[in-house]
Amino acid sequence: MAKEVKPTRKNLMAIEDRIELSERGHDTLEKKRDGLIMEFMDILDQAQEVRENVDDQYQRAQRAINMARAMEGDVAVRGAASALKEHPEITSESKNIMGVVVPQIESSKVQKDLDERGYGVLGTSARIDEAAEAYEDLLETIILAAEVETAMKKMLEEIEKTKRRVNALEFKLLPDLYSSQEYIEQKLEEQEREEIFRMKKIKAKKEEEEDADHLTTDEEEETEEPLTADD
Amino acid sequence: MSQEIGVIGSPDFTTGFRLAGVRRFANVPDEEKPAQLDDAVEEMLDDEDVGIVVMHDDDLDHLSRTVRQNVETSVEPVLVTLGGGAAAGGLREQIKRAIGIDLMEED
Repeated sequence: MAKEVKPTRKNLMAIEDRIELSERGHDTLEKKRDGLIMEFMDILDQAQEVRENVDDQYQRAQRAINMARAMEGDVAVRGAASALKEHPEITSESKNIMGVVVPQIESSKVQKDLDERGYGVLGTSARIDEAAEAYEDLLETIILAAEVETAMKKMLEEIEKTKRRVNALEFKLLPDLYSSQEYIEQKLEEQEREEIFRMKKIKAKKEEEEDADHLTTDEEEETEEPLTADD
Repeated sequence: MSQEIGVIGSPDFTTGFRLAGVRRFANVPDEEKPAQLDDAVEEMLDDEDVGIVVMHDDDLDHLSRTVRQNVETSVEPVLVTLGGGAAAGGLREQIKRAIGIDLMEED
């Protein structure tokens, strides 16, 4: 790139402006990256906690449904599962963390009372109720996990993007600009030196010419003088 | 906009969630997973009414590379995997790539 710029003072000023802007941008992006990583660390702790809860509850729910299957038979459990009338719904709103839009998921109709589930109370046993309840708890935690993990994914994407920008500025754009600046400065200095040298040469030549002129005029005067003396 | 939760997996896996009221589910029996799981997941990802997709972590191994990558990085709907421990769902890899260190290393 350094060889592509024309070594003019105007270009030098433009490059200096770009360097200033890029350095400022680099600092800001670096701060943004650090801030995002700090926010991410907070979410990571939360996510690990939620993840552990999800796994615990999944195991508990599995135990409950296995028990229900063993006691009631697979058909009864599936029958009850097909009879559900209320379905859990989620609505997501967004929250802004340092320019990253992360969702806030609200859930409704996850936890249901016994009579809201839709399968008959008489035809089924408490084992199925327990399994349904365990899965309802699990769903609540899954929704929380989804919220936290989406936030993590989005923040990671943003961190990666910011990091790429910081690195591009630090290792590509700024070094290129610095080398262009140096190239132009050196070229300009060289031109200045050439100019001074040229001036000196011209001055010397002019002086030489002037000296030569003086000499010739002196000689002329000298040769003219006797003539005037003759008059 | 209200969305729903989708579950993909073997009938044993989905039954429990159906007990909790989930009605968007794809039953893929174990022996058909290599052939059918990709389509089931893609269908669920394209469904705009699904906000969260729940799968078992082991089932991700049956997916083809592109579908797995799509589902792991998808934000809308977001994938939640069960049974894979804290480092599940491709997050660990993403963290390693973005931050540079493995923050989910188990002590």
